[in-house]
Amino acid sequence: MPAEDRDRDKKLEDILRLIELCRTVQSSSVNPFEVDIREKLLVLKKYIPDWGLIDVMLKDSEAMQQLVAIVKLQSQWITHRASALYIDPLLLELKIQLISREELAESLAKCWHPIAQLDQLTARGLEKAFVYWRELVPFGERYKYQFGSFGQQTTTIGLEELESLSIFTKEEFETRLNAIAKELSEKSDGREIDYRGFINGKDPEETALRGYLVAFVVTEGRATIRTDPLTEQIFISTIQGEPGEETKSVAIVVR
Amino acid sequence: MSEPQPPAAPAPTEGASERAALDRKTRRAFQVLILQRGRNPGVKGWEMRRYLGKDYKKVLEVLSDDLKPLGLEVHQVPGPEGTDDSTRFLLRFRDAPTLAEAETAGFRIDDLAVLAASIALINSKQGRISRKELETFLKGKFPRWRIDYSVDRYVKRGYLDVDDKELMRIGWRTRAEVDERSLMTLILAQGTKGDK
Repeated sequence: MPAEDRDRDKKLEDILRLIELCRTVQSSSVNPFEVDIREKLLVLKKYIPDWGLIDVMLKDSEAMQQLVAIVKLQSQWITHRASALYIDPLLLELKIQLISREELAESLAKCWHPIAQLDQLTARGLEKAFVYWRELVPFGERYKYQFGSFGQQTTTIGLEELESLSIFTKEEFETRLNAIAKELSEKSDGREIDYRGFINGKDPEETALRGYLVAFVVTEGRATIRTDPLTEQIFISTIQGEPGEETKSVAIVVR
Repeated sequence: MSEPQPPAAPAPTEGASERAALDRKTRRAFQVLILQRGRNPGVKGWEMRRYLGKDYKKVLEVLSDDLKPLGLEVHQVPGPEGTDDSTRFLLRFRDAPTLAEAETAGFRIDDLAVLAASIALINSKQGRISRKELETFLKGKFPRWRIDYSVDRYVKRGYLDVDDKELMRIGWRTRAEVDERSLMTLILAQGTKGDK
């Protein structure tokens, strides 16, 4: 590359670097006086006779525009610094870190004067609501692409169905039912015990199975369930003799 | 002989009619200020002149005095051009609420603390700070999720302003509702009262 081209590239690089510097200062809280305007203007003045291409000239004018923005920032910086709002940032940062959140909130509350205004439905708001409602995709369609179809709805499953699915056989079910009724009788010993503790198995599947079996034991009148209205704790106990007349169906979520 | 005429009602004096006109304008000013007109609360100076006439500032002063027993005042926020026309007038609480009252308005103590720290820091940094810088600073005092939630909420409500370069500034609502100078003083004074 000839020396002349290299020199021109270097000058263009200087201009681009200047534009970047100005942009960085504008997009952060850096002191705008970090940019030496006089020096940068002299650089631009020195380079300008070398520019022949329109694109480079445009870059030069962009650099000039950025310098003007920095001068504007410098003016704002001086105005702010001269105002009573100026406090050394380091001192303030330290103070904020030292005081508690309550003290910070209290400081704000003490000089806060909320705006008093009536909120009302405006014609613009009504139009916005109408457009939103008109363009709202039906709920069934909304998450279709995200989650696919919703599958089958939750339903109840009966013993016959479980037998047909080969999960239980009639004999096995009876044996398990008797076993869990016996276990309940032994554990409760005539007293109330915690329902969730009793049905808890080694894994969620076993817990669900024990819950299912206990539901049959209760339905057959061999045990009863009581929920404490205050703590919402569920108790189970065996029933000696005939069950009472006051029976009702309850649904319990098994996790 | 003619019948005696009933005494005529006294003609209203000039002062009374002036007073009545002022009362009418004060009522109008209150209605204009209390009703939400656009997206942001408040009414600009040129609108006030249109509704109340050229002496609108005097009417607003009277209204502000009348609202004193209700704990309200007419507050003016200078516009970007600094002219009377661009000045925004709004109704606001004359006295600051207690911390407990602020909480009932849906602001948790942590939320208020985030806002207080943000306003103070932005003001100390010449009125602008990058969002990243603000969040890094706040991270030293608040959990990350709280910062994201609160900053977004305050931007949405107009307490903070963020531009396309992610540069945070004080929002119009802070200018209207918060006495920033007092806030800075109070923060600096916190903790010194109990110092031994």
